Formats: sequence, structure tokens, C-alpha cells
Amino acid sequence: MATLLKIWPLMGRRILGNPAACLACKSARTASGSSDQPEVELFVNDIPVSVPPGTTVLQACAEVGVQIPRFCYHDRLSIAGNCRMCLVEVEKSAKPVASCAMPVMKGMRVKTDSEIARKAREGVMEFLLMNHPLDCPICDQGGECDLQDQSMVFGSDRSRFVDMDHEGKRAVEDKDIGPLVKTIMTRCIQCTRCVRFANEIAGVEEIGTTGRGSDMQIGTYVEKLFGSELSGNIIDICPVGALTSKPYAFTARPWENRKTESIDVMDALGSNIIVATREGSVIRILPRLHEDINEEWLSDRSRFAYDGLKRQRLVSPMVKDASGTLVSCEWEDAFFTILDRLTGVTGSEIAAIAGGHADAESLIVLKDLLNRLGSEALCTEEIFPMDAAGTDLRSNYLLNTQISGIEEAEVVLLVGTNPRYEAPLLNARIRKSWLHNDLTVGVIGPQLDLTYEYDHLGDSTKVLQELAAGTHPFNKVLSSTKRAMIIVGSAVLQRADGGAIHAAMSTLAQNHRVKSGCDESWRVLNVLQRVASQVAALDLGYKAGVQVVRDNPPKVLYLLGADEQTVTKADLPSDCFVVYQGCHGDAGASMADVVLPGAAYTEKVGTYVNTEGRAQQTQVAVTPPGMAREDWKIIRALSEIVGQTLPYDNLNEVRRRLAQMSPNLTRYGDVEEANYFKQAEELAKSVKSSLASDALTPPQLSLKDFYMVDSISRASQTMAHCVAAVTKAEAK
Amino acid sequence: MASRLIRQSQGATKIVKQILSTDKAEARRRVLNLYKAWYRQIPYVVLNYEIPGVTVKDGRVKLREMFMKNKHVTDLRAIDFLVIRGQMELVETVNIWKQKNHIMTWFKDTWNPKPADFLSKFYEGN
Repeated sequence: MATLLKIWPLMGRRILGNPAACLACKSARTASGSSDQPEVELFVNDIPVSVPPGTTVLQACAEVGVQIPRFCYHDRLSIAGNCRMCLVEVEKSAKPVASCAMPVMKGMRVKTDSEIARKAREGVMEFLLMNHPLDCPICDQGGECDLQDQSMVFGSDRSRFVDMDHEGKRAVEDKDIGPLVKTIMTRCIQCTRCVRFANEIAGVEEIGTTGRGSDMQIGTYVEKLFGSELSGNIIDICPVGALTSKPYAFTARPWENRKTESIDVMDALGSNIIVATREGSVIRILPRLHEDINEEWLSDRSRFAYDGLKRQRLVSPMVKDASGTLVSCEWEDAFFTILDRLTGVTGSEIAAIAGGHADAESLIVLKDLLNRLGSEALCTEEIFPMDAAGTDLRSNYLLNTQISGIEEAEVVLLVGTNPRYEAPLLNARIRKSWLHNDLTVGVIGPQLDLTYEYDHLGDSTKVLQELAAGTHPFNKVLSSTKRAMIIVGSAVLQRADGGAIHAAMSTLAQNHRVKSGCDESWRVLNVLQRVASQVAALDLGYKAGVQVVRDNPPKVLYLLGADEQTVTKADLPSDCFVVYQGCHGDAGASMADVVLPGAAYTEKVGTYVNTEGRAQQTQVAVTPPGMAREDWKIIRALSEIVGQTLPYDNLNEVRRRLAQMSPNLTRYGDVEEANYFKQAEELAKSVKSSLASDALTPPQLSLKDFYMVDSISRASQTMAHCVAAVTKAEAK
Repeated sequence: MASRLIRQSQGATKIVKQILSTDKAEARRRVLNLYKAWYRQIPYVVLNYEIPGVTVKDGRVKLREMFMKNKHVTDLRAIDFLVIRGQMELVETVNIWKQKNHIMTWFKDTWNPKPADFLSKFYEGN
């Protein structure tokens, strides 16, 4: 039974979705000691089990390893109790009870496999199948369908189906809810998981139910787009084939796919993903459980931008010919063209810019090569204020409290960031905490729909000054708690007065730490990065921002996946030789004199450090296309051509070098915490720039801005469809 | 299997059961006989298999090379094994059970050596 069922892990988790458990954790926080209520003992199939009061029968059964079939129950959503699949027999109860909604009682005797329980399940299953189409052979959920699996295990073994002319089955019109989710509403069993997900987790109250009984329908009532950045998750939680993935429709069966556990690089959170591949190409991406980062959700860009991995790819090295067009060539030709240009150029005339998808391995190899050539001009595309302590202290650029820390926080202040589109799962965490923990949120920036209520403090920099000075009314809110978080968006730190903004927030955070008397381990200042490579690059000593390139125009510029046009041809001298290494033919490749094709994140083993400072590694799901190679190998090979052979030949040796530079980069899965807030704050006092008067506005303001932000998502057709759909919906 | 071939005698010494030869002289004779048989056969091999660019002389040089490759072997049983293998190869060659490419592989002219250093591996695609 257990092998067939898709089992949701229930144990060892703080369930915020469960009101009882939430109450318990809240009371534990407000008055420690009062939560030690005596546990309730009950018997599941005559096995005694003790659970805290407020636990449901279904959870108590999971405690002893008895999995009860369910459709509507999901442990991250509120309890609906409408599918009736989880009926069990309780002794001395007149009727079978729905175990997902029934709280445990003392001395309860639950029977999960008795005659009554089995009959109840068979009956429920028969009613469900009575109106469910028999289209499993053409249904995309086939093979991963809860209804299919559970009808095999718990259904009746014979049919009372007599409607041979197919007259009586319920049929429901399909809804068009956007380019990502395909609906076949006749398959729907009204479990309402999608409704609860949209309302509770995504915070987009656009899906609901209409009608009652067999006329009940799930939908948006009037036909409209399901405009959420987390919409793909309703595909995962749908227990039947009513909601399936549109881009994945009719492509493969789950048992044909090869699954690779990897890491997402579309934002700086480093969500855990499963990359499903078939016949050498990525066919879908699903979330992988990681309680501290993405739980079991995934943002739409991470989930659906994979078709960009097949478009606009660089598949062969290219060199610009006399007429100025890039022509495909062999690796040797490209390398020797670079060598020609490098001879006679001094080290200080070489510079490199690393883009948002560069892995730590290629970053370290590039840094070693340029240092050997005598250059120190290595920078990242993302700007970060370098004044005062700058990037010397890690605590300055990390999300120090960690993503899961938001659940413990009581006050969150968002400064110049729109987490909903910069890091959707972080925003989902804030919403979760706002719903269940009464989190107070303050926002400095434009008034945006963040899916939760917040105190809008305005968008001027004056607010920052007042907060740092302690004269703003919000200071009172902050001083009322020991659990406050300040999340500064990396976008506003890119302004000319970024240093001053950072300094002001650093002062506010440090003042709060001292005044509130919170314990040393609670961190207040957080920076939310937007690109996956930034933390690793700063850990390795890259300079943040391309100012160094602008100040000393180089003769040779090496772009490592830098596609955001922070430096254009206009910023460079006309004889500057540009080498682009990366996976997509985007802005960077179009300004290059030599193009070296690299691997995308699904094609290499690469280290990425997320915004919390957690090192994780991607795995190879497919091989790089054409002549493309893993990025660190390209630079290593180039080093041999230019006569500065780097002393590592394989991945382990590169990793050893990484560990030498910064040991946290190879401690996979762990968060390396940062400290020295006090020192950082003292140094911040020396920041000379003063706050400008422009409003603090993050770049991504509406859903339209969310889909295409990097070279992969810009190449993705699905993402283009999304932008078109949102634009159309907004125009209405 | 090897343990079955080793018979435990009195004391600690082990007496190994021979395969063919009882002493070094006999083993040497067998090797030389095999060498001579091959040596005489080579003109016919060259004629029958028509390997491009391989003359009788080349064949004899290769024969010597392949025998000399095992000159370090001193174990009688190992020598006998090699002689048996060589005999089998000879029979297969004489009867034309082998095909052209089997003979050609001894000369390995068309083999590209596997890249060993980083750069050649990189160009190869690994």
C-alpha cells in the first residue's frame, strides 16, 4: 500500500496550516511552559500512541505508520474534510469519521482497516469514479495520479457501471486560466486543494467554488487569468488530472523520465528542484522538498523557464571575422584568437565581469587565471555598495536571519524590495507567517500588492533617516519586539546612494539589537540578493559592480555569462576585445569578439550559494549541447593556452581550491552564518555618500516583470506566453 | 579454482600442479615450437588476409614483438597458458576463422590513442 500511495510526510514538522498546532506554537512563544499540556493517548488498530491534544486522527495514525488514503487533506493547507476518503471507524461512534478533520480524544479506539472503514472507502471511491471520466490513457496525470493509485488499493474490485451509452456522466467546461496550467475540469473531484492553495499560500483570491452538490465547480467564476507567481504549484497538489502543466502536456509519462536532483538558479533562493529529462533534453522541472528554503513549492519562473534551455543556445565557439560577423570555429581557433590579443596586453588592461548564473567553480578558476595574468579587475554584474566594510564582512550581504527565520520573526521591514517577484517563495514565507503568527510587516517602497497587509511607510529615503535616528513612528513597533527583521532589497543598494542606504539600515538594525536585548544569535539585518551567483562571487572576493571596468577601460574584457548590459560597447574603448563565455546568445554574446559556449545550470555540476549563505550544488541532468563545455574547464583550458596553466585538472581539485579560498563553499547544504554586525555598523559610519531624494523603487513592480529576467527566461517561449497573457489581462 | 589446483603436501610447501610443462626446458621448447609454427605460417597469413601495407617482414617483426612482450614471464603455468592461447590464435588464423580486422588490430594503425592531458581531453569533449 505504502509503495503505491503518494505519501506526504507528516512527522517532525511544525504545521502552521493546522490551527491547533499553530495555537500551540504561539502559546509556547508568548508564555513558555504553558504548552506542556498532557499528551492524549489513543489506540490505532490497537497500537497505543500518545500525541499532543489538537492533533487529528489522521496525523496520529501517521505517527504509528498507518497511512490513511486522502484527497482533500494536505498538511500545508487548511483542513476541508470534503472528499470523505479518509473515513475510519472509531469505536462507539455511530458513523465512520473523517480522520483528517477529527481531533483526537482520550482513549479513542481507531480502526483503519475494519469492515466498516473499508466499506466506507469503497463507497466513496465508487461515487468519485461514477463521475470521473475513463480517460486515464490520455490523461497527463497517469502514473502519478492519486485517484488512480488509491482506486487500485482501496477501490472495489468490481464495477456497477451500467451506463454503456455514456449518457449520465457529469461534464464540466474547461477553464482557461493562463498559459501555464491546463484545466480538464471534468476530471475534478472537488477536493478544493487548488482553492485553498490560491487563497492561503499564494494569496491570490481568484480561484473558488460555485454551485453545490454535483453542480459544484472550481474556477475563477468569470474567465480570467490565474495571475500568481506560484501558479504552477496547483498542478502538483491536484490529486487528479484536472490541473496539469500546459507546456508538459502529452510529452512523457513519469516512469519514462530520468530524474536528477538539482538546484534552481532563477533567483537567489536556491530552491531545490528535480530535473526530469528524457532523450537528452529537460522536459520538466518539479520542486524538491527543502523545509528551510522552498518547502514543497516552486516559483513559476523556476518551474517553466526550462524550454529556454533549448533555444538561443551557443553550441560552438565563434570568432568575429573581418566583416564583423561571428563565425563558428574550433575550440583551438577561438583560444588562439584570444591568445593573439592577450600578448602584449599588460595585466592591468584585462578585466572580467561575472553574470548571475556563474557557478563558484568557474568564478574561482577565472579569478585565478586573471590574477596570474596580473589583473585584479574581477567584478560581478550585480552592484553592491563597496564603501565602508562593503563586502569584506559577509554579514553585510547575506540574508542573515535565513528564510525559515521569518517564521520566528514578529516584525519584518521590507526596504526597497518586492519579494513577491524577486523571491516568490520568501514572500510566501512572509505571508505564511503573517497568516499564522500575526507578523507585522512594514514596507518602504512603492505600494504594491504583496499578498498580505502591511504598514506602508512611504517610499522616500527620508524614512530611512528617521528610522536610523529612531524618530519614526515605526520605531515604536520595532522596539516592541525582540524578533525583528530588516530585509533590504539588493536593487536599491545599486543606486548611487546604496552605501548610505545600507549604512542607515545597518545602524537601525544594530540599534535595535542593542536596545531590544535580543539574544546574540538573532540577526536583524538581511540583504535579499536577486541572482544566484552573487554570494559565492562576493565570498571569493569579486568586486561588486562594474565601476572598476568603467574607471579603467580594459583592452581585453572577459564576460562570464554577463548578459544584463551593465557594460556596453559604448562604455568600452573601440579597440577593446570582448570574450563572452556563457550558455545563451543574448546581449553579452552579441557584443563579443570571441564566443565560448558554456553549460547551463542543468548541464554541469556547479556550486551555488544562496542568499542565506547556504552552499548547494547542481547536478548534471543532460549533456551540454554541441561543442559547449563545462564552464570551469573552458577557463582551465584557456589558461594552458596562454601559458599560465592552472594547477587543477578535475572537479575535486577545483573544489579543494574553493575550500582553500572559502571553506563554506564546499560545505554543501549548510548555512555558514556571518557575524560582526557591530563592527560593520561602526565602519558604516564612515560612509560618505548621503541619501538621495529619489524614491526607493524596486525594478520588478508587476507580474509582467517577473517572468523574463535572465538569459534563460528571456529565451523561453513559455515565459513569453506568460508576459503576453498578463499584458492582455491587464489591458482588460 | 586456483585453490583446487594447489595441493597441500606435508609441511608448509605447496606443490603446484603443472599444466603442460614440468620444467623450464620443456616450457622453453614449447614456446620455441609455437614461435616456429607462427614464423612458417606468416607468408600464408599475409597472402590470405591481404592486410594493406603489411609485408611478410612486417608480420615477422610483429610476431617477435608479441612474443617479446611476454619475455618477463617466468611462471611455468603462466607460460603454458600463453602458449595455449598462442596456439589457439594460430589455429583460428590458419583456418580463416578470423576476419581481416582481427589481424589488423594487432597492427593498431587506425587506433587513436586516448587523450591523457587536460587540453586534449577538453578538445575531445570530456
